[in-house]
Amino acid sequence: MRSKKSALYIALLTLTFILSGCTAGPTYVTKGSEFPKMYEQQPRSLLILPPMNISTDAEAKDYYMTTIEMPFAMMGYYTFPVEMVGDVMKQEGVYDTEILYNLPANKFYDYFGADAVLFTKITKWDLSYMVLASTLTVAIEAKIVSTKTSEELWRYTGMVRVDLSGGGDSGGSMAGLLIKVVATAVNSAAADYVTYARQANSRLIYSLPVGPYHEAYMQDQNMQLVDQTPKDQ
Amino acid sequence: MKSLKVLSIFTFTVITLAMSGCSTHTPLYNYGEYSENYYALKKEATPESAQEYQKSLEYCIENAKESRSKRVPPGIYANLGYLHLKAGQNKKAIENFTKEKTIYPEATFFMDKMINKVEALEQEDEK
Repeated sequence: MRSKKSALYIALLTLTFILSGCTAGPTYVTKGSEFPKMYEQQPRSLLILPPMNISTDAEAKDYYMTTIEMPFAMMGYYTFPVEMVGDVMKQEGVYDTEILYNLPANKFYDYFGADAVLFTKITKWDLSYMVLASTLTVAIEAKIVSTKTSEELWRYTGMVRVDLSGGGDSGGSMAGLLIKVVATAVNSAAADYVTYARQANSRLIYSLPVGPYHEAYMQDQNMQLVDQTPKDQ
Repeated sequence: MKSLKVLSIFTFTVITLAMSGCSTHTPLYNYGEYSENYYALKKEATPESAQEYQKSLEYCIENAKESRSKRVPPGIYANLGYLHLKAGQNKKAIENFTKEKTIYPEATFFMDKMINKVEALEQEDEK
């Protein structure tokens, strides 16, 4: 009798596992399987290009620019000084233009001696106001392209969504409602997008194979990350 | 009673060790307030924010030892050299560009290009 009961338990447990496996959670891949070209080409230096901005906020670009160098350098790559590089590009008349993003990648080797180019795109940088809540969304898409072969070596996306409404439950009274509206406005004004841009950066950077100045260089192929490649339906 | 005391001391020690373990995770580079000050400069360029930005570069150089790599982070010497160049201090600019490529050979090509530009400027001035 007892063994029958435990057999039933095992069967139930197994079924639960199988069923939970069916619900589509994130699937995981490894750095090595997802970005093999990073390990083959082993770029040492990254030229950070001015971000492309397709968000609604015009100032996002200049502000986001100040957050990119640090995380990529911390991952063990030589990052070219963005301020200087930006000025050189302005002098050449390619900054802030379509020309820059359409230049053949090997031009960046000819001009700066960079092994690879880092493209970033701000896809979302906005605050959505509602009467009782406001949400801030920052989304960044990043990719690394080789200057030797023009191949894409790495690509990942980081997004942060924050509820800025804060405050306690207002209980629905008119006075409470007013307090909440005021609180929302105040919190939104104080919200510093750059803080959240840094968070978005940290969400995408972990997927990058580490570079030559990092202790784990060429040893992190087995590290797991969330699979972001779009599935064929 | 005594064993309780021993236990609590033990627990305290374990917790302390565990917490100190978190704080000893030193970053690869010591960037100080570089990113924050660079952002402040981009947000509003004033003599004050420009000075703060330069100070944060100097901080990175002076406190580089407090990091895992013990090196000045990539681009910091180059940025400082660039500030000197804009201020007309060509000699200091070349000094810093040279330091950048000494620490990071990846920068050699770009830094040499900058140094050549500065030297060309100087020769023009002499004429």
